[in-house]
Amino acid sequence: MKQIFKRISWVQILIWLFLLIVLLFTITPLVFMITSSFMTSKQIIRMPFSWIPETFHYQNYIKALQGNDGAWIFPRNILNSLIVSLTVATTTILIASITGYGIAKFNFKGRNVIFMLIMATMMIPFEAIMIPLYMVATGLKLQDSYAGLIVPFLVSAFGVFQMRQYLTTFPSEYLDAARVDGMGELSIFWRIVFPNCTPVIATLGILSFRGQWDNLLWPLLVTQSEKMKTIPLYISKFAEEKMTDEGAMMAVAVIASLPMFILFGALSKYFIGGSTLYDSRKG
Amino acid sequence: MKRKYIGIERKQARWGFAFTVPAITFFTVFSFYPIFNAMFTSLFDKRVLSLAPPKFMGLGNYAYIFSSPDFWNSIRATFVFTLGTFIPIVIMSLMLATFLTTLRSKKARGFFQIAYYTPAVISSVVAAAIWLLIFDPRGLGNQWVNMILNSPGVDRKWLADKTMVQVSTMIVYFWKYIGYFVILFITGLFAIPPTIYEAATIDGSSQWQSFWRITMPLLKPTIVLVSIMAMLQCLKTFSTQYLFIQGGAPRAPINVITLNIYTTGIRNQRIGRASAMSIVLFLIMLVLTWLQFRLSKSEDVEY
Repeated sequence: MKQIFKRISWVQILIWLFLLIVLLFTITPLVFMITSSFMTSKQIIRMPFSWIPETFHYQNYIKALQGNDGAWIFPRNILNSLIVSLTVATTTILIASITGYGIAKFNFKGRNVIFMLIMATMMIPFEAIMIPLYMVATGLKLQDSYAGLIVPFLVSAFGVFQMRQYLTTFPSEYLDAARVDGMGELSIFWRIVFPNCTPVIATLGILSFRGQWDNLLWPLLVTQSEKMKTIPLYISKFAEEKMTDEGAMMAVAVIASLPMFILFGALSKYFIGGSTLYDSRKG
Repeated sequence: MKRKYIGIERKQARWGFAFTVPAITFFTVFSFYPIFNAMFTSLFDKRVLSLAPPKFMGLGNYAYIFSSPDFWNSIRATFVFTLGTFIPIVIMSLMLATFLTTLRSKKARGFFQIAYYTPAVISSVVAAAIWLLIFDPRGLGNQWVNMILNSPGVDRKWLADKTMVQVSTMIVYFWKYIGYFVILFITGLFAIPPTIYEAATIDGSSQWQSFWRITMPLLKPTIVLVSIMAMLQCLKTFSTQYLFIQGGAPRAPINVITLNIYTTGIRNQRIGRASAMSIVLFLIMLVLTWLQFRLSKSEDVEY
């Protein structure tokens, strides 16, 4: 008995050691981002690196918001990202839930074909259709506008799939009872079905918000003016400019990550739940 | 009575169809039309600013890209990146997930899971920006490696050397997605009922044996699916490479297909040629997705 205990604890120690080394690897870059956002660039590139800021160099944040040219365009870019991500999250939730409901709970001709076709779009990677989409957007005169940024992401096939899977198990008796009471189909959806989808709504909302918050490729194609750009574009521009100092760069990174960290802190359960799912339309 | 019932059913069916109309319209315009348009355009010599109507050239664009060293380089860069990223990610995340399931404390397991997952929360552009600084010649990357290898003062040229810059992009991706795949595997591992292990332990199987004889075979479908998912994810990589090039890294070693499509189509305005590249990327991913669907159907394990 004693021997078994000893052997297990040795294995345990090795496992813990391994887990902790990986932990160090995943966490230090994030800690680096936060501490160096309060350092002067001189301190950041000093060897060896000291993890505690010597002075509280908050000026980095002013520089981050102001930009190298002093145009204060970053706040506007943050606003753009918020508008786009929130709109996409809302429309994805609404359209995915009503479509999923239609497919899950109604028996109409072509239902399976429609579902298969929607699922088939998951096989089309955004990267392969971005050029024609760009032509569509220019054809509709949507370039450099919020509509242009939002429209290609109004709903995702993955969202429809999730909602449909979830609603298949929704008891039809409730729906029938409401019908007997004379409730219209739209209000049945809005007042009975939709409020009961909260777990999927949360997961989908986070996933699509994050997809747009992270989207670099499409805004890169569709926006031209500085004031229509989103956060990822600002970061890439900031990283490329010669006079950018490292501290300000990390301050930009912290500001850009803040909403995600807050969401993650509050709703990590849905993040992790959502991560077992696969979204092809991330951009 | 019976007739009226059918009437209600029909009326309801109409509602059901109506509910799907917005989504159908959306996917027709923003998924199906673009992909057919890409196939069509790939047969023409189309440029954005040219006023002349695009000239039909059959498979000319495909002939061009497949004889262009630049495109082959992109294929190479994409596959090197994909293989170099997804294999370590799958192996490491499977190991970590297995180790995490052996932890007795639920709290510790939850903590590690969240800590590993945190890099996935920040956006890929931010991730690339952080690592650009770490890979600076005077940055943490050199300091860490030199500390581990005890070789003070050596510059690993993370962003300058053509092999190292590929490794650097892989590290960024690995760092960002490891936690995500750990969670996928943990879900798979917990789906295996503990009674199987109990039975094996009673029969005298060691933990090591249990892992290779029970966990691995039962987890095989999950491993295959997760691998394909990881590959699909890696084939589409764009942000990391784009930011690294903006940050001053050499283009050629990390000029992945998506980046090449962007440069050809948007910067050089060769829409036809870029469409042909898009179709090639689409076909590669289609084969993988088809495999994924097939395997997920045939390899469903019943416990």
